[in-house]
Amino acid sequence: MWPARSADQPASGPSSVASSVPLLERAADVLAPAPGEADPFVSPAIHTIDLRKEYRRTVALDALSMTVRRGEIFGFLGPNGAGKTTAVKLLLGLVHPTAGEAMVLGAPAGDVETRRRIGYLPELFRFQGWLTAREVLLLHCRLVKLPSGRWPVLVSEALSTVGLSDRGDDKVGGFSKGMQQRLGLGVALLGDPELVVLDEPTSALDPVGRHHVREIIGALRSRGTTVFLNTHLLEEVEHICDRAAVIDKGQTIATGTLAELVGKQSVVRLQVSGLEGRWWEGLRGFGTWTAEGGWFVVTGIEATDVPDLVQAVVTLGGRIGAVVPEHKSLEDRFLELLGES
Amino acid sequence: MSPTLVIMRLTVREAVRRKLVLVLLLLSLAMVGLSGWGFDRLAHTRSVTSGEVQIALPQALILFMFMFSFVVALSASAIASPAVSAEIESGVLQTVATRPIRRSEILIGKWLGLALLVAAYAVVVSVLEMLVVDAVSGFLPPDPAAVAGYLFAEGAVLLTLVLAISTRLSTLATGVLGVALFGSAWLGGVVGALGTAFKISALRTVGEVVRYLLPTDGLWHGAIYYLEPSGFISQRLAAEVGAGGNPFFATAPPSWLYLLYAAIWWLAVLGVGIVSFARREL
Repeated sequence: MWPARSADQPASGPSSVASSVPLLERAADVLAPAPGEADPFVSPAIHTIDLRKEYRRTVALDALSMTVRRGEIFGFLGPNGAGKTTAVKLLLGLVHPTAGEAMVLGAPAGDVETRRRIGYLPELFRFQGWLTAREVLLLHCRLVKLPSGRWPVLVSEALSTVGLSDRGDDKVGGFSKGMQQRLGLGVALLGDPELVVLDEPTSALDPVGRHHVREIIGALRSRGTTVFLNTHLLEEVEHICDRAAVIDKGQTIATGTLAELVGKQSVVRLQVSGLEGRWWEGLRGFGTWTAEGGWFVVTGIEATDVPDLVQAVVTLGGRIGAVVPEHKSLEDRFLELLGES
Repeated sequence: MSPTLVIMRLTVREAVRRKLVLVLLLLSLAMVGLSGWGFDRLAHTRSVTSGEVQIALPQALILFMFMFSFVVALSASAIASPAVSAEIESGVLQTVATRPIRRSEILIGKWLGLALLVAAYAVVVSVLEMLVVDAVSGFLPPDPAAVAGYLFAEGAVLLTLVLAISTRLSTLATGVLGVALFGSAWLGGVVGALGTAFKISALRTVGEVVRYLLPTDGLWHGAIYYLEPSGFISQRLAAEVGAGGNPFFATAPPSWLYLLYAAIWWLAVLGVGIVSFARREL
């Protein structure tokens, strides 16, 4: 369906959690060669430094700092009103920042020529209702200045990708919201952009449509396209994103891979018999032990340490009936983060 | 094709697709037909002398052309008021403005498309009207091209102002403001003409100021002047006290200086519109 991008796009490298490390160091970390990266000098797909946007007395975005690497699927998570769409609009030059900086594909956000390499599906997807779907796509082929000889193929390809092949000659004004959103996705994907910014791309879609969009994003990943996915749907992020940032009240409250966001530490429940004396003293290093019914609960243990824990219990003479690791879900962590922020 | 031309094409296409062009043309053809019948009756009525007909024909044509100028101006205002604001309100502009196109190219493209529509309408309707009147009554204004040109200029001036306002206000507010400003400018012209005819300097000053604030009425007077046959002006001035105060009468064409001013006004307002749109957050 999608041709693989040529070798100028690096694969996504290992991620790092945003912390209090100074921004420039963080940027340098991103620019540094990582295993699997073809070109160490390529700029991040998106890099923002203390990006701020005020609307009169309201602060919509407050000091947003984040980095999106080339070729990764980056989830931008946050509750309604957190400032997600404002951030997207800033990245695309639709609104102007009050303070801070944003670089997109190595150029200042909003740079006219760079927009040729960006596809965007707005949260408010509306098209000229008096045009047909095919005409909308042709209009965007013209605006992006794609080679005119390829327009018919590109338009047919886009319609087929988003499942609108049989509605290409119908007026967009008669489309349902879901169909308009599909068309918007087709428009965003025209011309094989390097960066695709999707603002709530499945808000009007049914479960089948959502699944389809996930498949499309998966295909984008395989050809090395960077996807910036703005969403409040945690399952979308869990299913398709390599890394994510969580924002609330206009600020980034966490960034990292999903494992990093959810936290390495988890909970293990054990059913053990045969232990005597002050056996737990030798096992304190694995985490905090509590007793719940017939179970021992170890919290704060790292997932990689579970085999060692089992070994240690057996060494102390324990007989293990059951070991049940419990991982925190993204939703748990998301709610926890929002509570902390 | 440059992005500006892409937007121009889109703008014209929208007017055609939405049947705006068809409706305007059909209505105007009906009005031209009706006026042709009226002029035929006027020119061939036995109870009116040929001298009276010679005075009445230009006056009647000026009134008809005023109606067309009114339609040109209001149509210009009606098509320009939603051009930017409605697309901002609906969100359609978000998908266009994030393409490799400058805001200035979007606005100029829209202006070109709308101006092309106004020009086509002004030229087709005024030329058709003058030809029909000539065919049925034998009266042809001295300079039909100038009449069409001034009619277009009047529409283009209002179009530019409304388009600039459309970058900031809602469609409804822009449309109402456009019509109100056009009406005020016409009224200002009437007040100024009365001031000139009856030598009341305060009224004349008001008329002059309005003429410069919005040059629609000043340009409309250019169209009136070129609808008047030679000798018509002196006949009217001699026959009627205060004829100069008649809003459907012009004793002189707009000066070159005034035309230059109107061109600068147009450029300045278009420039303000471009800057305003570039700064507008979508």
